[in-house]
Amino acid sequence: MRPFTYTGTTNRNEALKAFTTTSHYLSGGTNLVDLMKEHVEQPDQLIYVKNLQYNGISKNKDGSYTIGAMRSNADTANHKDIRLYYPLLSMAMLSAATAQIRNMATNGGNLLQRTRCPYFFETSMPCNKREPESGCGALNGVNDQHAIFGYSDNCIATHPSDMCVALAAIGATVEVQKVDGGSRKIDLEDFHRLPGDKPEKDSNLEPGELITHIHLAKPELSNHYAYVKIRERSSYAFALVSVAAGFQIEDEKISKIGLAMGGVAHKPWKLIEAEEFLLGKKPIESNFGKAAELAMKDAKPFEGNRYKVPMGKNAIVRALMQANNIGE
Amino acid sequence: MKTKNATGVGNAIDRVEGHLKVTGEATYASEFKVENKAYGQGINSTIAKGEIIGIDTSEAEKLKGVLKIITYKNAEKLKTFDKERPVLATDSIAPVLQSNKVHYYGEYVGFVVAETFEQAQYAASLVKLKYKEDATARFILGQNKDKAYNPSEESDHKRGNLKKGFSEADAIIEQTYNTPIEHQHPMELHATISSWNNGKVLVYASQQIVEDAVISISGTFQIPKKDVRVVAKYVGGGFGSKLNVERHLIMAVMASKMVGRPVQATVTRSQMFTNTGLRQSNIQVVKLGAKKTGELTGLLHETLAYTSTTQEFQEPCGSMSKMMYNVANAAVSERLVPLNLQQPFSMRAPGEATGSFALECAMDELAWKLKIDPVQFRIKNDTQEDLSQEKPFSSRLLVECLTIGADEFGWNKRQQKPRANKKGNWLIGYGVSAAARAAPFNETHAKVLLNLTNDTVTATLQMDATDIGTGSYTILAQTVSDCFNVPLEQVVVELGDSDFPITPGSGGSWGAASYCNGAKSACDNAIAGLKKNRNVPKDEDVSIAELLKMNQITSYESQSLAKPDSEFEKHSIFSFGANFTEVWVDKDTAMYKIKRMVNVGSAGKILNPKTAYGQVIGGLTMGAGMVIAEQTKVEPNFGNFITRSFADYHVPVNLDMANVDVIFLPEEDKIANQMGIKGIGELGITSVAASIANAIFNATGKRMRDLPITPEKLLMAEVEDGVTV
Ligand SMILES: Cc1cc2nc3c(=O)[nH]c(=O)nc-3n(C[C@H](O)[C@H](O)[C@H](O)COP(=O)(O)OP(=O)(O)OC[C@H]3O[C@@H](n4cnc5c(N)ncnc54)[C@H](O)[C@@H]3O)c2cc1C
Ligand code: SF4
Repeated sequence: MRPFTYTGTTNRNEALKAFTTTSHYLSGGTNLVDLMKEHVEQPDQLIYVKNLQYNGISKNKDGSYTIGAMRSNADTANHKDIRLYYPLLSMAMLSAATAQIRNMATNGGNLLQRTRCPYFFETSMPCNKREPESGCGALNGVNDQHAIFGYSDNCIATHPSDMCVALAAIGATVEVQKVDGGSRKIDLEDFHRLPGDKPEKDSNLEPGELITHIHLAKPELSNHYAYVKIRERSSYAFALVSVAAGFQIEDEKISKIGLAMGGVAHKPWKLIEAEEFLLGKKPIESNFGKAAELAMKDAKPFEGNRYKVPMGKNAIVRALMQANNIGE
Repeated sequence: MKTKNATGVGNAIDRVEGHLKVTGEATYASEFKVENKAYGQGINSTIAKGEIIGIDTSEAEKLKGVLKIITYKNAEKLKTFDKERPVLATDSIAPVLQSNKVHYYGEYVGFVVAETFEQAQYAASLVKLKYKEDATARFILGQNKDKAYNPSEESDHKRGNLKKGFSEADAIIEQTYNTPIEHQHPMELHATISSWNNGKVLVYASQQIVEDAVISISGTFQIPKKDVRVVAKYVGGGFGSKLNVERHLIMAVMASKMVGRPVQATVTRSQMFTNTGLRQSNIQVVKLGAKKTGELTGLLHETLAYTSTTQEFQEPCGSMSKMMYNVANAAVSERLVPLNLQQPFSMRAPGEATGSFALECAMDELAWKLKIDPVQFRIKNDTQEDLSQEKPFSSRLLVECLTIGADEFGWNKRQQKPRANKKGNWLIGYGVSAAARAAPFNETHAKVLLNLTNDTVTATLQMDATDIGTGSYTILAQTVSDCFNVPLEQVVVELGDSDFPITPGSGGSWGAASYCNGAKSACDNAIAGLKKNRNVPKDEDVSIAELLKMNQITSYESQSLAKPDSEFEKHSIFSFGANFTEVWVDKDTAMYKIKRMVNVGSAGKILNPKTAYGQVIGGLTMGAGMVIAEQTKVEPNFGNFITRSFADYHVPVNLDMANVDVIFLPEEDKIANQMGIKGIGELGITSVAASIANAIFNATGKRMRDLPITPEKLLMAEVEDGVTV
């Protein structure tokens, strides 16, 4: 590993002050340290932020919740209020990685975890995300794990997080501290970005911005929910395709819904057309099937990932069916 | 052998070395306390074929702690191959850094020695190599079938008249089965500490066969064998990857000489993908014909595999097809295609693990076509003679394995028609397969030292055998305890040192049988010698303490050997087994769970049911891994492996796995060897993949002929013709 300096602090302002353009904030380290060992990330300085006081879970006046960015994925998913009011989030988070990794990983780090594209990890391979202008190895290479929506010729990678898929379905905003001391809130939908011609940028964070909180939307999807994650083994594998579904039923019709997919795009993929279609409809399999068709109609798979289209449809229907059955 | 004490052979005792292992006191290769050692790190090529045309070490050399950077330019001259693509064997030389040529992606092109592991790693990343790439590199087996050649005429097997056989058949199936590259990945990384002293080299290493490591090192460096000592006291798993000497070891030995200090080299987990061996990918065609009544009339099994461009290795996929069934007309062959990929070698049950997948799936396909129960189909084609060797089996309890297994499993509840057993979103299927694995027994030497203090005899056994996590220490202690009728506490077993008598090492399922018979012969020899000195009749029951006293000595040493006899040569000697699997497949996600497995084995005398059970469970899990997820993916344009860590090379997790029932049939095969022991380590993995794939067919109606069977493949596969959805 390349030598670097390490700055540990419990003081937010100190952390922000220490930031330079070649620094990285270090939280759980489950992603960053791996990438440093592979020489993919080469920071000169690590600023340890996990000890900053952003690890709470609090209830807001309107009934919504705010979770701290430095809280571990495990402690978030297992918190009693999260289990009660945001069971979809809890379920998605617990499907990720392993118990050991979830104990280390934090919510802020999870938002910013990088793609698992194998070309990104191997420094001798072309990869625009790792090294702009070097080409995209996956485009004409092995692309079975890659995107079917929203990619560009520059990058076809997917965002690997499960947590973020649930957040996209539920609705959330990310609060960040700027280096100059101010703070701002970014809607989750605008937090991650599509690759376009800047695949090296995963998110719309500015350099040095420190994530402090995730504000969850009001808990309105806790009655009918399901996270379906299709993967190559029953745990400790990233999703081939995943679906987060949550809805409410009034007068036998769907009155509120959140639907998002993972493993299909450079960011958590909201299924807006499907959501709109299902609003006001009965929660029955035929409607779910039509919604799935709508959701997948613009998918453009590659040679290696054609399977994601039928798998995606099945996963959507299954998630909605499972969500529907939960309330009964 | 009669079990005289509660800890002797046949008892399910705890491992004698267990405590050392769980407390961290067992010394693995990189854990020996060696003064003043430096650390070495290999540099891997980043092209698959071409030449090194420039090396810039300036930045790396500036780093603190760097002692030496070795490349082909300054490496010691080693023995190199004297012919094109020689066959890789367990005692082959392992030349490295001898030219500027690159043959595959990840090949070692340099070695950095530094004061610390971290410094060596970082320095290795700073050495800049310039290459001239050769665009003729080839990586994909299926695209290079035209380059196939026959590695050895003798391996082709033909009997009867195949054409006639197929013309007599009422039903024929012919299918192609693909298995990917797989990696052994023992838990313990390959590691060595090498040091020179007065022209002799001492090598702590993680090796399965100590003697062959000595031969390989002395051959590579062209030094006498007596100047090489290899110590492998504990080995944290091998699965074939540690049968031969890998090149990090040679580089460490070389570097230690160059820097005049001991050098440790531990490969990284990602180098376990590129530099320590693998199971080659295979394309197998199996054609089977049978009469309506189920008698097989013809069997064809053709395998195409890859080897590297520098050495040759072929896992014998056809080995089980040759001997398994009573089919008069058969042809079995293997062909190789040289590719610019890492050299393949043995991985657990080389040939059987993959070959049985093809054969036993094909048997299931033909049974379904004939509408015969697949258990009955196998029983119908049982044979007590190995038709390929024209020798009787020393013992073969395959029919018993199948019938007892079927009973235990509840096979009679199986629906013959696929997709007939459903529960909610689940499709439930049952599958069966039969297994056979050769039970070799090789010449083995051993020494015992007896010591009498205050009426208590301590017996110390020494042999260069290895314990690769299988339990060799334990079964050998049990054997010695039995021979001298002394409690286990009075037995000391010392293994894994080339200063000890020569054994064939651990591998190929020959370890247990060879080691125990070797140990027994040394013990028996000691008793016989002591009796002879005092004219005690051979069969008189005198305790070992008494014998030493009668001889008026307090210590005694005896060395002897065991080896196959003429009866062994006259027979074909195999272990047999049957696997039954129940799998639940999710109809929409195509994810599946292995719910239950019943494995019945007839593997001779079971020395210790506990360690034997561990072997079989491990084998079944590894076999399940072949189906569930294990595969090393080759990048088609660059030839590197894109699966490069445990995050993407998937092995099964607990949730995937089943309730496993392992049953050993009582058997003592005295033809196999005096103690009646047969191998078990590789029987456990053989045919497991087929039983799962057959269960998946029974559940879904889909024939999955490409391993692994991932959800993406299963979802996209079509239901077979003739199956109603
Ligand atoms: C083998 C393996 C399997 C996995 N499987 C899954 C899976 O199935 N599903 C899944 O969703 N995830 C999976 N993960 C990923 C895991 O969830 C992430 O690694 C983890 O969430 C990252 O959190 P961290 O705190 O460790 O981040 P770190 O590694 O510490 O940081 C990641 C990035 O975020 C930045 N960062 C961290 N905190 C902040 C902050 N507060 N403000 C600004 N920047 C910050 C860092 O600078 C760094 O760039 C897996 C990981 C591994 C290693
Ligand atoms: S898909 Fe993106 S991350 Fe992968 S190689 Fe292409 S540019 Fe790199």
